[in-house]
Amino acid sequence: MPVRALLNDPDELVAEALDGFARSHPGLVRANADPAYLIRAEPADKVALVSGGGSGHEPLHTGFVGTGMLDVAVPGAVFASPTAYQVRAAIRAADRGRGVLLVVKNYTGDLLNFGIAAELAAEEGIETRIALVDDDLATESEDGPGRRGTAAVLAVEKICGAAAERGADLEQLAELAARITTSARTLALATAACTHPGESRPSFELEVDEVEFGVGIHGEHGIGRRPYGSARELTAALADPVLESLGLTGGEEVLAIVNGLGATHGLELATVARELHEHLAARGIRIARSLVGSYVTALDMRGCSVTLLRLDPELAELWDAPVRTPALTW
Amino acid sequence: MDAFGGAEVRAWIDRFIANVLDRTGELTELDRRAGDGDYGTNLRSALGRARVNLEGAEDPAAVFTAVSEAFLNTGGTSGPLFGMWFREFAKAFTEPVNGTNLATAAGNAAAVVQRLGKAEVGHKTMVDAMVPAAQALRAAAERNAGPDQALHEAAAAARTGAESTEQLLARRGRASYVGEHARGVMDPGALTVAMFFAAANG
Repeated sequence: MPVRALLNDPDELVAEALDGFARSHPGLVRANADPAYLIRAEPADKVALVSGGGSGHEPLHTGFVGTGMLDVAVPGAVFASPTAYQVRAAIRAADRGRGVLLVVKNYTGDLLNFGIAAELAAEEGIETRIALVDDDLATESEDGPGRRGTAAVLAVEKICGAAAERGADLEQLAELAARITTSARTLALATAACTHPGESRPSFELEVDEVEFGVGIHGEHGIGRRPYGSARELTAALADPVLESLGLTGGEEVLAIVNGLGATHGLELATVARELHEHLAARGIRIARSLVGSYVTALDMRGCSVTLLRLDPELAELWDAPVRTPALTW
Repeated sequence: MDAFGGAEVRAWIDRFIANVLDRTGELTELDRRAGDGDYGTNLRSALGRARVNLEGAEDPAAVFTAVSEAFLNTGGTSGPLFGMWFREFAKAFTEPVNGTNLATAAGNAAAVVQRLGKAEVGHKTMVDAMVPAAQALRAAAERNAGPDQALHEAAAAARTGAESTEQLLARRGRASYVGEHARGVMDPGALTVAMFFAAANG
């Protein structure tokens, strides 16, 4: 049975979804059609936060536009960076004269286009800083592009968004973003690949007794195949390298993000969350804050990522601060 | 001719767009063998947007700004790099365009692409045609050659540079992912640069 998506025309999918999304949250956000971006309905007098990237990761980033998170989100085509022209328009729309923090996941195309947009904005007198997010342990290497940016971007947007609402300046926000990124690592696995809109076959096939380990969020292969196992075994396989990389030890507190990759049921994610609590508790590490759900997705990929962020009182307090966006509200 | 006016610059860009649109199939085929095959599609959409932007653009800076903005609104990595490349021509050109500001434009433009793309000559990218063309324009300006002669020499240098990419192993850009498979294939970005300078003299 081929995969069938609900769409009109694959080439219009991103634009039509942006329109539908904005119409669904009229009090919070509005859409600009060309160049495409989503902006919060009521601008605030503060440093602006702009993020974006390829589409197909919803609710990232459009779902996080609103009070306490992003001012503008810029969607590219599916799994492709937004253009420099789009990002420049987003920066112009977001800036309130206090500068703009650009939250960028570590991919070549995103860095190039956000970097160019930042240079063009500087010529117009708009100050920007790029907060590079690179949390994906699967692609850690000495040379090459390094760790990809995945679910930790959500923590950067939430925590820096809260700090911006309280009046932090651009430099302070850039430092805060760097501290969060340094303190967070992610690892993911897939039990089934995703299918690009308009296509009928997934990007790869898995046997029933294996999982794709170390996947990113673009439907690509991971770093290897591992045997399929229980939620307990698979959760430990994701958590252990993250614990080791962060050097987390007994007595520390973390924010845990158990993130569905697009087609993973809430029951499964809650089970993984339970196993993560058990696994960390056995090592004396307390999950002081958590977020469980599908927030940083790869179309309809099945599987999940586990992100741990080492918490200190300041980060925890900013995480708790009020937020009101289409996808995250408390 | 000692100097290019707005009409000559506009005709140069119109010829470039028409020539590239005629050959997008060939450029796509090169990219299919050495990259991911989306180069021709991205280029076609950039040039389509450029034609719209060019409505009413008459002076040299406005013509190159129209082309630059179109490329900056294109996906992929070659689109924005070409956008920043053309932008330096827009910044350096005052009417009329002469040998000196041609050399300045091409030199600054190649430097911007090298910096943003982190590519050097020999990495099998568009830079392999941009840098020799800029050097040829600089040399022509130093002996006070007119723009016609300077652009003729730049076109030859860009062509030689583009052809040199055939035998190179890619170090940057999409072709670096396919390694030896791309040897023997000319870099489509470098070929586009060669076509740009070749279009200057009709």
